[in-house]
This record gives sequence, structure tokens and C-alpha cells, in this order.
Amino acid sequence: MSFKAIEPLLRQVQKPGRYTGGEPGSIDKSAAQNAGELPLRYALCFPDTYEIGMSHLGMKILYGLANSREDCWCERVFAPWTDMEKLMRAGGTALWGLESGEPIAGFDLVGFTLQYEMSYSNILNMLDLAGIPLRAAARGGALAPLVIGGGPCACNPEPLAPFFDLFVLGDGEQAQRELLDLLAAHKKRQSSKAEFLRAAAKLEGVYVPSLYTVTYNRNGLIEAVEPAPGAPARVKKRVVRDLDSCYFPERFVVPLLEVVHDRTVTELFRGCIRGCRFCQAGYLGRPVREKSPAVVDAQCRALCENTGYEEVSLCSLSTSDYSALPELLDGMLDWTLPRKINVSVPSLRIDRFPREMMERLALLRRGGLTFAPEAGSQRLRDVINKNITQEQVLSTARQAFSGGWTSVKLYFMIGLPTETREDIAGIAQLAQAVTDEFYRNPDKPKGKGVTVSLSAASFVPKPFTPFQWEAMDTKEQLDEKQVLLRSHIRSKKISLSCHHADISLLEGVFARGDRRLADVLEAAWRAGARFDGWDDQFKPELWRAAFESRALDPRDYTREREESEILPWDHLNYGVTKAFLLRERARAYRGETTPNCREACAGCGADECRIQGG
Amino acid sequence: MPEPFDQMLPGARSCGGHRGCRIRFEKRGRAKYISHLDLMRAMSRAVRQAGIPLWYTEGFHPHPYLSFPLPLPLGQESLCEAMDLRLEQNMPLTEIREGLNAILPEGLRVLSVAEPWNESGEIHAADYVVGCDFISEARASDWKSRAGELLGAGELRAAKRGKQGRRKIEKEIRLAEYIHRWSLEQNGAGVTLRLRLAAGSAANLNPALLCGALFAGAGEPADWSVTRTALLREDGADWE
Repeated sequence: MSFKAIEPLLRQVQKPGRYTGGEPGSIDKSAAQNAGELPLRYALCFPDTYEIGMSHLGMKILYGLANSREDCWCERVFAPWTDMEKLMRAGGTALWGLESGEPIAGFDLVGFTLQYEMSYSNILNMLDLAGIPLRAAARGGALAPLVIGGGPCACNPEPLAPFFDLFVLGDGEQAQRELLDLLAAHKKRQSSKAEFLRAAAKLEGVYVPSLYTVTYNRNGLIEAVEPAPGAPARVKKRVVRDLDSCYFPERFVVPLLEVVHDRTVTELFRGCIRGCRFCQAGYLGRPVREKSPAVVDAQCRALCENTGYEEVSLCSLSTSDYSALPELLDGMLDWTLPRKINVSVPSLRIDRFPREMMERLALLRRGGLTFAPEAGSQRLRDVINKNITQEQVLSTARQAFSGGWTSVKLYFMIGLPTETREDIAGIAQLAQAVTDEFYRNPDKPKGKGVTVSLSAASFVPKPFTPFQWEAMDTKEQLDEKQVLLRSHIRSKKISLSCHHADISLLEGVFARGDRRLADVLEAAWRAGARFDGWDDQFKPELWRAAFESRALDPRDYTREREESEILPWDHLNYGVTKAFLLRERARAYRGETTPNCREACAGCGADECRIQGG
Repeated sequence: MPEPFDQMLPGARSCGGHRGCRIRFEKRGRAKYISHLDLMRAMSRAVRQAGIPLWYTEGFHPHPYLSFPLPLPLGQESLCEAMDLRLEQNMPLTEIREGLNAILPEGLRVLSVAEPWNESGEIHAADYVVGCDFISEARASDWKSRAGELLGAGELRAAKRGKQGRRKIEKEIRLAEYIHRWSLEQNGAGVTLRLRLAAGSAANLNPALLCGALFAGAGEPADWSVTRTALLREDGADWE
């Protein structure tokens, strides 16, 4: 198949640019392919739209890294939107790689990035559109196509286990390189899939689910997880120790249609020193590893030159914690300002930042200011170990308002452990205090009002956090708390948006799910579930029916877990120990905060942590 | 005191001392699915990346000065697109062409770079080739005669969306008023419809609108495509 074959479809869909490929920076190895010099074909799949997938840094890194090998052509694949899916099914068009336009069913490797539980139905849909049997067991003994996954949700991939041949836990750079090496060798040797998987299971960070047998007791709890001979009892995540020497792309594929994050981006560090107890990303990424400022600067510069982007974003979980931030920005502004390149620093705590630097960053020109207090009272913020005080929020807001800002976004969660009605009221009170701060400001811009956008997400307990045992609120509780919060809002300047409780609950079910959920997922997908994370696409009734058809109760997955239970992800090792998580859980219930990793080491268990003074 | 009028015209030969530069390019193949807004972004990135010394507008939000005299609808190809830039310093025109061609995605190709000769307001008409494919020669010949009758009668109408002040309105237009010339030619199972249509700021017709009306009366081809082939001045000469 070529571009010509998909062309008649393009005329009938929204945003045809999602499907055409050929963007600047995309890699065309068709010449090597035609000359028979390409042993490995790799489809790197993002199970959401083009606009979201093309914004994701991990995809860019893995794409560049795989294509830096002469023996491999890595292509991008995104979830076709529903209009395109209809046309593909009607015309029998199989899912293709954007670079070659060729069906991915013929590729050696089909890799999915697992960013979000609510994209699982899209994974099944993409496999099906590709013409690849969904279940690994149904794909036969041949080596290709090998279906693999990685990313944050790989920390508990159990609901996906029957569909995948293997998962990569932790950082992907080195693991992808070793897997491709291994695959090339086994393809040459004409190994069977079983032979390959037995060898792959010996690589650090590679989890082959079919090598583990899970048994359940009469109450539906896990009784045991038995590894096959030769497979490790616990699979350890992969950690890139030195980010400076780790591969990073010098160019990006630059999308032609506007995507969510359309800019140059690099990380300052992986992991986080903060230890917010609800935050899975913070625990999965431990220990903190920083890139040196010279490397960050050089990477940004090369990318700007090679992409033509006018904006560079420095991203990390908590950018302000980067040790060399002022030096880095000072150096970068020297070359970005003359080139009219904007530097954006998300999640920056501007209260600790020199005013002059802020002005150079042109931060004051930006649309809005964002805070994530996450909880409405100091008591609850201590429980979740979110170290931000009301006074910090207000003083930063004051500073920003006097600098001419007129809009503030506040992010909160509802349904946190130990939450009371007072904590919910506290969310509205904090928003009101920010609003009042604006009107108290003597030099506020004339004739302008303030807008405070309040966002209330539902708390979802996630694996490898101190809250991994917690009960998740029920739909009734979440709905009631949303109504309660709304009733406390008195000002028209405050707008409230809440997450769809049904979507959050399903996310909660799959985040802590086990292998039995695979059948539910497949049933829901067969009934038409797609893009479940999109409010306008999510169909809760499909999922209710799917659970009923498999005689499973979603509440069994959102309930509080016993500390003695075998959790579905206990055979995966992300460094942080269960003992540490239990200690943190106990501290949470006592309302005790835990200092950040630079102040004092909390003994989380992360390997080779190099933080000074710990 | 108001500024002299000639300094305010976009695309003027000399603009506040900044050299104008007109890039003619083609947009073919998969590039026809790049929307106009996306094209502007892609071009502005390519220009930066090629190291072309662009002039930026003054003010709080400096942005590169790029203008497109006659945007092309999504899904149509063109051999004659134009984009005007203003340069802060001189750069050899051939370097601009080569620099951009090394960067632009497949389907976008710079044909020439020159100093602008005509104002963008001087575009009066554009030529289009509509290629229609049919499943058989007989169908093609049948369609050709019906399409010829419809075009000859001059009674084709279409609803055109427009604005009246701020309000969005839809009005019915007589397409014949916008068709300067047409011809039909059959080649096996294909029919080529050549059109010269009103184009520019005074009166403009999207050929897809005409095709819609024509296909409603004469039947829809199995496959069809639109290519813009020339931009013309009122005197019929090429707009340059």
C-alpha cells in the first residue's frame, strides 16, 4: 500500500494531516527497504490521536533512537479518529505506518506507549485495525509481529498482559536498544517467539507476562504469581543512570498540523525529590537524575536549529527543583532572545524566582498562572505531603496580580484519603481568597476582572505510591463532593470544572487491576469502546455491561486493599520498597510530612541514588 | 499625520526599508492536505530554519512578516502558490530557494524567488484544471456532454457562505458571474475541465463550489482532483 491507497479516505475525514505523514524530520528509509537492507521494521504506536501522540517526548526519543540504527526503520502510528476508523473498516484498509504507508501487521515489532489507562481500548482497536490477533497466544509461534509496551502504565500492565508479548519497565532507551539487538540476532537465527521471549526475559527491565502464572483464591484475591523456570521472581525496572550520556534526538518530526505541545522540549531531570504521596510519576521515576545545564543548553540549541521551532520548553515533574536553573536560564536567554525564541518553564514556582529573570523570560506576558495546591486545607495537604501553604499561593498571586496577570488556574483533587466536608469547603475558600487578593491589589489593571479557574480531579490511588492500598471514592461520593464544592462557590469570578467521575473510576479500576480485566477490556472494545479518556466519546454503559458479562464487580478493584494482600504488581520492582510505602502511608494518617530527598533521605529504596546529603 | 499609503501596502516593493521577496511554490501530493493555517506555520518554521533574515513586526508580540496573497483551499493542488516575506538584510535569492527546498516537506517546492512585481490586490483570476476520472469511456463522454450543457446554459447556482458585518450568512450566487472561461476535453475514461475563475479580494470562487454544483447536475466522477495552474491580472497577463 502507498499514499495513493489511502488518498480516497483522506478526502472524507477531518484533519487529513493526521494520516499523511511526510512531515519535516520524518525518516524515510524506503531506499534501504527496497534494497533489502532493512532487517527490522518497527511500528511505534501511540494509542491516542496524532495531536496528542506527537506532543509526547518519549515517542520522539524512542523514534530517533531506533532510527539511528541502520538495521531498523521505526515508523509512527497513532489511533485513527472514529471517522477514519469507519472508512478503514468499510474499505478493508489495514492500519499503516505513517512513514512508509505500509500495513504494520508485516512489521517485526509493534510497540505501544502506555501513558494512560483510558487508552487501553484504543490499543485493542489499533491491533485489530492492523489485522493482528489481539491475544498473544493467538498470534502463533512465529517471531513477528512482536507486540510490546512500555511507559508509566507498564508498572501494572496486568490488565493488558494477555495482549502483549512483553513490557519494558522504567526508562526505555537502553532497553529498546538491547531488545532490537536481541531481535535482530534471533530473526537471523530464525528463532521461534518462545525462544526469543525466554532470552528477552533475562534483560533488565523486561517483563514477559506469559512466563508468570497468576492464581486466585476463592475470594478473587491473588493467591500466587509463579514465574516459569529461568524468569526472575521479581522484574526490576530499568534506570538510565547518566542522562548526560544517554541518547537524545537532535531533531524532531515537526508536525504540520497544530498539535497539543508544538515546541522544542527537553527534560531537566527524571524523577522528583518531592514525594507527594498521591503522585505515581514521582515514585516511578526515582531516583532523581539531573542533566547538566551544558547538556540541556546544547540539546535545546540543536533542536531549535533543526526544527525551526520558536519555543523551547524545559520539562520535568517540578522544574523549580532543578539545581542549576538560574545558571541554565541565564545561559539560554543569551541565545534565545536574539533569535526570538521563547523559553517556557512549566511548573515554575515564581515566588522563589528573581523578578528580573522572570521579566527576561517574558513570563509576565503569558496567559495565566497555575497552582496545584491539590487539597483545600493545610491538614489534608500535610496528609498528601504537598508542601505548599495557603500563604505561598496568596503571596505568589499577589505578586502576579501586581505584575498585570488576571487569570489563575488552581488544581485540586477530591476523594483524597481522610478527606472531610471541611476540606472540600476549603477548596472554595482558597479560590475565594485568591479572588479577594486580586481586588485588594492597589495597582490592579483598570477595567479588568479576574478569572479563577478551579479544576477538581478525582483522586485515583495508583500502584507504587503510599496510597496504593487506599479505597477510591464511589461514584456517589465523588458526585456528592462535586455538588458540595459547587455549593460553596459564591463568586462569579470562579469557574469550576470537575472530572467525569465514571472515567476516573474506570481509570482507578485499571490502574490497580489484574489479568481478569483483560476479558472486560476486550468485551468493552467489542461493544464499541474507543477513546475512553475523551468525555465526548466515553460510554459508561458499555463498560457496565462488559463487567457484568464477565461477572466482575468494578468495586472489587477500587476497594481498600489489605496490607497483607498480594497486589497484582508485587512481582514488579520499581526500586521503592513496600516497607517504605507503608511507612509513608502511616505518616500520612498521622498528618506527618516527609522532607524532600535533598533535605533528608527517607530511605525509599531507589537504587544508586546520588542525591547529596541523603 | 497618516503614513504614506504606499508604505502600508503588504507586499509592496519596498516597505519601510525592508526588502520584499516573493516566493512562488507548488503544493502537490500529500502537501495538499496541509491547511492554510498549518501551511503558514510550516513556512514560517522553514524560513527560520533556513536562516533567512526575516523582518519581524514591532510591538509586544513580534512575529515574522509572512503573507499569502491567495490562500489555497484544503485538498487542492497548485503549481503557482505565492508567499511574500520581508527581509531584514539582503540574501541572494537563489540561496533562499535552495535553503527552503532543503527543508520543506514533500510536496512543497519553491519554484522561484523574486522581488514582487504586482500588488496582491492585482490578482483578478486564476486558472484551474479539474481532472475527472470515470469507470468507462462511455460514462466519461456522457458526463462531458451533460457538464457542457450545464456550463453553457450559465444557470448553475451555489450557496456561498459569507459575512455581513459580524453575522455569518449564506447567499445563493450565480456561478456564471465568476466563470471567465471554461473548456472540456475527453481523454479515454477521463475528462479535463479547464476553468478560469474570478480570484482575489474583489470576487473569488472556490472551484470546489463549482464542482459541487456541476456534479449535482451531471453526476459525480469516480475520482476527481483540482489543481490551480496560474494566477492572472485583469489584463490577462500572469500575476508576478
